[in-house]
Amino acid sequence: MNAEGYVLRVTGLRKSYRGKPAVNGVDLRVAPGERVALVGPNGAGKTTTLMSCLGGVRPDAGTVELLGQRSPAARRAALADVGFAAGYLPLPPHLRVIEYLSVFGRLYGWSRPAGQARRGLETYGIEHLADRIGTELSSGQRTLVGIVKATMHRPALLVLDEPTASLDPDVALRVRTGLIAQCDRDGTALLVTSHNMAEVECLAHRVVFLAAGRVVADGAPMAIAASLGQSSLEDVYLQLSSTTPAVSAANSGTGV
Amino acid sequence: MTDAVPPRVSTGRRRVAAVALRHAAVLRRSPNRYFEIAVLPAVDTLLYASIATYMSASSGGTRTVLTVVTGMVFWHVIHQAQIAVSTGFFEEVYSRQLPSLFATPLRPVEWILGTALQGMVRIVVGVAAVACTATFAYGFDLTGAGAGLVPVFVLLLLTGWSFALVVVGLVLRFGSGTEALTWGMLSLILPLSGALYPIDVLPGFIQPVSRLLPTTYTFDAARAVAAGGPTPWGALGGAALATLALMATAVVFATLALRRFQRRGFISRYQ
Repeated sequence: MNAEGYVLRVTGLRKSYRGKPAVNGVDLRVAPGERVALVGPNGAGKTTTLMSCLGGVRPDAGTVELLGQRSPAARRAALADVGFAAGYLPLPPHLRVIEYLSVFGRLYGWSRPAGQARRGLETYGIEHLADRIGTELSSGQRTLVGIVKATMHRPALLVLDEPTASLDPDVALRVRTGLIAQCDRDGTALLVTSHNMAEVECLAHRVVFLAAGRVVADGAPMAIAASLGQSSLEDVYLQLSSTTPAVSAANSGTGV
Repeated sequence: MTDAVPPRVSTGRRRVAAVALRHAAVLRRSPNRYFEIAVLPAVDTLLYASIATYMSASSGGTRTVLTVVTGMVFWHVIHQAQIAVSTGFFEEVYSRQLPSLFATPLRPVEWILGTALQGMVRIVVGVAAVACTATFAYGFDLTGAGAGLVPVFVLLLLTGWSFALVVVGLVLRFGSGTEALTWGMLSLILPLSGALYPIDVLPGFIQPVSRLLPTTYTFDAARAVAAGGPTPWGALGGAALATLALMATAVVFATLALRRFQRRGFISRYQ
């Protein structure tokens, strides 16, 4: 944590690709145990923001402090207490699920990670997948294994990029319930992106709306909806997407 | 999950072990790869050693065969060392593991050490295949050359890893279309280094290029050692300096390519 008590503090983040801004001055703070959703239309800069926080993308400007460690210089000191999964990432071929989880268990610091990996699988009700090869799994099962990978070491900050995108509603509900339980029990902070506004309302204490690389709204889900005269986050999403000029232009195919 | 969580300390050694075990599992479940690790080196040895035997029959000497067999054995040290690290990187790219790995405490150098460590299996199997073929088919026992072969082996190992870093850097810089260099780059280095012959037999205009390659001096030393002469420490020293220069260049190149890769935001799109 940094001196102000945040597990993640992003200030003035900017990133352009080939001269086009993807993230344009984003400020973001996540407190311990807080569940924050980063939402916005495709191309709003969500994944670039997440990857900049984790060090996979080098920002053009701005600062990122992860668990009190300034990135990129000291980010690896913090990453042992960060978990990451994305619904769109596959599992590697040739590895059994238990082997895959053990690889990451060792990276996070266990010398014998198999036991903890099995407990993680039990948490999400997929212990029967332990000896299956990653490519034999359905997309939903792969997503669940990814979430076990991200949570089994009980990180201080959990970063999830569209974690329930490929899940059936009942499995998605199980994931949300498991995530909320873990965050409440361990004090884990959550930073999650999603296009499912009903899920965001259920999961997040706070919502940060991004559009065209900028934060256009930041607050509790219902407070944001009320301040914009809407009854749900879904309506807020549609309103902000259609009224933010750059987003409207991008969505209508004219580009930013 | 139960409440009791075993303590964990993320150390470099554990992270290197994690990478080595990950790639060992890939190798274990890919029996097709043993064709390129064991069968092709043995076939190479049969091919080139037979040509050398045929060519030297008229002169009545065995020196040519010795030169070729020595070159084959040591060439496969470079080849397998390079392929292990390069294909390990492609394994991460194709299975889209780079975003997940970037989000852990794993350092690039630890990833390289892990794949290189696992690659020792390939080297042992590949070199054993060549050495056994040379011994049983042609009666050559390279172990008789003694401890002088150790520094040669180490230098070739470092050379293989350096070329692997260059390939990884090129792929990070120019995209996966350049992966053909994993196999193609060494095909350029093999004739230019004089692995199977002294570089004096190369066309004159190519020889200056050969003299720029550290492998040229290492293979010179390898031939001298294998022929039973005294260990050419002077030549090995020169080869060591050239190898370290190559390695430093490769590290700088791969590091700059990685930074550019991060700057361009390829991390979540690369496959």
